[in-house]
Amino acid sequence: MSELKKGQTIQTKGFKSVTVLERLGEGGQGIVYKVDFNGKPMALKWYFKSKLKNPEKFYDNIKNNIDHGKPTDAFLWPEDITEWVDGTFGYIMPLRPSQYGDFSKYLLAKSNFKSVRSLVNAALNIVEGFGALHRAGYNYQDLNDGNFFVNFETGDVLICDNDNVMGQGYSSGIAGKCRYMAPEVVLGKKPDKQTDRFSLAVVLFLLLLGNHPLEGKNTNPPCMTEELEKKYYGSDPVFIFDPINKDNSPIQGIHKSAIAKWPQYPQYIRDAFIKAFGSEQLRGQTPRLMEKEWLETFIRLRSEIIQCGCGIGHFADPTKGVSCKCGKRISIPAYLKFKKLNVPLYPTVNLYACHTISDSEDFKTVTAEVIVSKNNPGSIGVRNLSDITWYVTGADGKAIPKGKDEVVKIASGLTIDFGKNLTAEIVGN
Amino acid sequence: MDLLETVAIPRKTMVLFFLVDTSGSMMGSKIGEVNSAIEEVIPELKELSESNADAQIKIAVLEFSSGARWLTPERPIEAENFVWNDMDASGVTDLGDACKKLNEKLSTKAFMREATGSFAPAIFLLSDGGPTDEYQKGLEVLKQNNWFKKAIKVAVAIGSDADKSVLEEFTGSNEAVLEAHSPAMLRKMIKFVSVRASEVASKSANVDSGDDGGESKQDAFIDELNNFKVEAADSADDGGGDVW
Ligand SMILES: Nc1ncnc2c1ncn2[C@@H]1O[C@H](COP(=O)(O)OP(=O)(O)OP(=O)(O)O)[C@@H](O)[C@H]1O
Repeated sequence: MSELKKGQTIQTKGFKSVTVLERLGEGGQGIVYKVDFNGKPMALKWYFKSKLKNPEKFYDNIKNNIDHGKPTDAFLWPEDITEWVDGTFGYIMPLRPSQYGDFSKYLLAKSNFKSVRSLVNAALNIVEGFGALHRAGYNYQDLNDGNFFVNFETGDVLICDNDNVMGQGYSSGIAGKCRYMAPEVVLGKKPDKQTDRFSLAVVLFLLLLGNHPLEGKNTNPPCMTEELEKKYYGSDPVFIFDPINKDNSPIQGIHKSAIAKWPQYPQYIRDAFIKAFGSEQLRGQTPRLMEKEWLETFIRLRSEIIQCGCGIGHFADPTKGVSCKCGKRISIPAYLKFKKLNVPLYPTVNLYACHTISDSEDFKTVTAEVIVSKNNPGSIGVRNLSDITWYVTGADGKAIPKGKDEVVKIASGLTIDFGKNLTAEIVGN
Repeated sequence: MDLLETVAIPRKTMVLFFLVDTSGSMMGSKIGEVNSAIEEVIPELKELSESNADAQIKIAVLEFSSGARWLTPERPIEAENFVWNDMDASGVTDLGDACKKLNEKLSTKAFMREATGSFAPAIFLLSDGGPTDEYQKGLEVLKQNNWFKKAIKVAVAIGSDADKSVLEEFTGSNEAVLEAHSPAMLRKMIKFVSVRASEVASKSANVDSGDDGGESKQDAFIDELNNFKVEAADSADDGGGDVW
């Protein structure tokens, strides 16, 4: 029996019971139901009988993942698994909250982010999720556009379909879609952490540019056969923005989004993608960009977002400012010069733990905000929102403490010491 | 276009072809069942197409009886916009003409003309009899067509009078032919084949598929069909028994 009936009750390994409430949707391998799991509404993925090549192994792997636990809350991770019923089974995971939509709907322009900030947040959240997954010793193996639920308001991301996730060294035997797989996997290699990172770069490119990184004028045959997919995504891949090899450039009128958006991203973002899809990386020879590198890149990108009064969001060079297409010139009075990045000091900009706390990768906790003085609109400052006391040093060399809620009035030449050897200088433009 | 503007990602197109026998013997419950089953499956195809970033699904319909006629003469119609018009049954079974007409449209100059390209189509043949025309010639030509070669091909034999060997010839395999002996079974098969063949055909190929050693989409779909046959046999008891 493959389909479950409403009201049907099944026992789980965890000695609980699930009762089928309604059907939510169907995928290639099974059906997802809303269920009552010991009084709590949850989702049950129920596999089609005989769709799994090695069901016992698959079952054990999910059980293993349940025992080891989820990498972070962003994963709709298996929480319990049912007993076998008629040669098949299912696992229980949290329901997708209603404010989350499908990533593929975004690719099809049916959903959109509320702001450039939420777009970049989504990139950060995806990278963070995969970093945590890999740190926990897992790899994802068949990452694709169907694996993400996105909150388009905030950029929060949930990662689903965690049934193929495997411990390092194991292979699920589940074949991913060519379009999303690392070229060496398309050619037959087992997926691992490095190949996951390639898929991650594909997803990030799709998210920011709206087109596939390997689909250009060379890869647009009248009939995309399986053999051609193997060629374009496996043996002969070429990045559409390869700086030297122009064979596979995007096509005007077709790859509109990538053509329009590529120049709008700062050079360091373009460089990151050029590196991620460089010919060496495409041949699986050089290590792929690590999550940490992506994280630093997107933290920098997010801190450069300046919203024009007209509503359009920009990535502004903190040292220069930006001209909006509405005609307005947005000038940035000053910026905070850190070792690896500059943060524009412009009202509405926030600093996060990843900026002000040494070695932190936390891009969610706000630790400071740029504000305009109530009495003097021409004067701006940085308010410390963290519990850590900063020390501000000016030309006189005197270090003045700035504790929680205190404001550093912006003046060129000041240095802020955030503690633990982390400092930044205020530079006027 | 600023950073927050979006246009739909260019997708491949996958055409699902329905080739329906509308000869006189289909009259009554058979054609009625085919009409309502296809009509009911359209919303599912629409949903599949709407959430599929790899390809959009289009539908083309060719009916054959005394001669063959396209119900979608201009071009395949997007699943989102497709409206099913009931077919009537009368006349003989000119499968050869259907092959000929299908061959004409399986070309980049006809139905397979897409700026962003296509995946190989899925071709679904439904028949309850045997050809009354010289079908071999039409089928031979069709079999040389590259689109046809790469397509997922599947047939349902409706009732025991259907000429299964011809359907095997058409699909290239006896495993790709299903037999329906009751309205309930026919309905189930139409739904299963339409949805699953479209799903397999409209997604980027799985990495273990393709020519060198692995499975083609047709093979992958045949695996599904075989599983379907096993499950259908298991649940045959509640089907109400054979009527055709
Ligand atoms: N935790 C969940 N809560 C709510 N809906 C879900 C949940 N997980 C999946 N769904 C929905 O159920 C449907 C099927 O999901 P599933 O993960 O099986 O699809 P898939 O990724 O296409 O398939 P597969 O992994 O089997 O190839 C989808 O429409 C999805 O939106």
